[in-house]
Amino acid sequence: MQEHIKKKKESQARQIWRRFKKNKIAMAALVVLAIIVLAALTADLFWDYQADACDINIPMRLQKPSKEHWLGTDEMGRDMLCRIVYGARASLTVGIFATTFALIIGGALGAVCGYYGGRLDNIIMRCTDVLLSIPGLLLAIAIMSAFKPNIFYISLALGISYISKFTRIVRSAVLTVREQEFIEAARAIGAKDRTIIFKHVLMNCMAPIFVQYALAIGSRILSVSTLSYIGMGIQSPTPDWGNMLSGARAFIVGRPYLVLGPGIALLLTISAFNLIGDGLRDAMDPRLKK
Amino acid sequence: MGINTNLMLEIKDLVVEYRTEDEIVQAVNDITLWIEKGKSLGLVGETGAGKTTTALSILNLLPETTGFIKHGTITLDGDPIIRMDEKGNSVAAMDDSDMQKVRGKKVAMIFQDPMTALNPIFTVGYQIAESVKLHQKCSSQEAEKRAEEMLELVGIPAGRKDDYPHQFSGGMKQRVVIAMALACNPSLLIADEPTTALDVTVQAQVLEMIKDLREKFGTSVLMITHDLGIIAEMCDEVSVMYAGSIVEHGNLEDIFDKTRHPYTQGLFNSLPNINNRMSRLKPIRGLTPDPANLPMGCAFADRCDYVTERCRFEKPVKKWLSDSHFVACHLYEDGKDESKL
Repeated sequence: MQEHIKKKKESQARQIWRRFKKNKIAMAALVVLAIIVLAALTADLFWDYQADACDINIPMRLQKPSKEHWLGTDEMGRDMLCRIVYGARASLTVGIFATTFALIIGGALGAVCGYYGGRLDNIIMRCTDVLLSIPGLLLAIAIMSAFKPNIFYISLALGISYISKFTRIVRSAVLTVREQEFIEAARAIGAKDRTIIFKHVLMNCMAPIFVQYALAIGSRILSVSTLSYIGMGIQSPTPDWGNMLSGARAFIVGRPYLVLGPGIALLLTISAFNLIGDGLRDAMDPRLKK
Repeated sequence: MGINTNLMLEIKDLVVEYRTEDEIVQAVNDITLWIEKGKSLGLVGETGAGKTTTALSILNLLPETTGFIKHGTITLDGDPIIRMDEKGNSVAAMDDSDMQKVRGKKVAMIFQDPMTALNPIFTVGYQIAESVKLHQKCSSQEAEKRAEEMLELVGIPAGRKDDYPHQFSGGMKQRVVIAMALACNPSLLIADEPTTALDVTVQAQVLEMIKDLREKFGTSVLMITHDLGIIAEMCDEVSVMYAGSIVEHGNLEDIFDKTRHPYTQGLFNSLPNINNRMSRLKPIRGLTPDPANLPMGCAFADRCDYVTERCRFEKPVKKWLSDSHFVACHLYEDGKDESKL
């Protein structure tokens, strides 16, 4: 009897995944991203980081694409493909760290603002307004000029400039959930504020948060490349798409593939994150439930 | 009345205000009510009469920035929840963490709309188990087992505990809400229009269930409704609320057979009569007064067929007609228990 009435049970995550799979473009983006991540993770199997990606090898400089160097070599004689793959490591790491940092701080602030409201909300939101009024990149440059340019500080700088966006998004999501009756019901069974905020409220705001998270990673990757391009980010010889572009700039006429390589890598990665974000938004919107 | 140790809930002279930037709304206006242990009280009244506000006051869950208890005391099973301080203001008698222990454990509330009272992203079993875990020291397995028991008790197969709220129908959801409310064996159950959002056939089932469970566990019930039929079915005593005040109170017989207040009379006249299908319904004319701007005298004066000059500038006081029955109406000033309607 129990067997008969046992229906197909689907968790929320599975439902979202099922709907996400239907979105061809988002799936393609996911595949591209998976390839990039996989390449970054397995790079050590094909190259030696120090010798191939960092050490200067002047006799080999500015080689055209060949069997040995698929994408040619740069002005220091280093293999371009190797540097692009290792560059993905820096970009992805900073992108994910910076966004996660911004999400944790901004999310917590936004949740508290949205749930409690009142004066605290006012104070925190005015502070984020101040933060928002400073252009993000400028803020990151200002912070970077005070610290050593390593991955930790770059993540921090790029994260701080994104906190206010997360605060706003989480706050507005919390505001709508807070008014729902099940929150009152949770209070009526004696749940603590902390439990209510983190379990009942935030878990119901996951859709916009996830979407923003995916989009923000793309934006942070672009920012880290920008920082590196102007020399405030990841420093040569550590490979990064930004500083590679900066180095290849001088040869854009004779050797355009030197700019195209890291440029296309950036384009693919950022588009992948944006498309995944869009796909998630569609998959998580219950109104599109079929 | 003195201290009666047999009272589950005692609300005395309660005044609740909602303050917004441009007006003060008197939602509850000096009400007194009590429920004996194991009994059930029906609170009847129109939309906006202050029924839900009264219920939320008991849990001290009024909206923090706008709702204020201005006056009065609330005592639950001998423990004060709202008390008066030396200056004559009402203050919460418990701190937040003590109050959280009362909510759900001693007093549980069934909300009006089961569609929104359950969190859509957790399974129903999990949500029932959560309320158990909040109040009883027990392992997750025990809590889950209790959740299964509760589901069976309200007539849902325990196998459905891993389903999400959207997989249930409205009536089933209300059963889940009831299971959640009863999971910790509360001494007082507040049912805030538990059947308003359900269709009629399901209403009967849910009410029957609440009744059974009440008898089984000896829970006291505060039944908030605007349906006199439910009152007749479920309650021992009735308080009729109008514009934030209780205008008539009595046991079932007092209210249904010896109706005294013109407003209560009006409520009965608005119901179709099954014995005389040709008779026209007689609605109460007019609207409830704006609670931000209550009249000086009796709040019902403008709608009352028996209004006198006195009603307009003097508030009627409670008049006990018998041990169980009181009415607040100038018609009964002489204290004689005979209908003037």
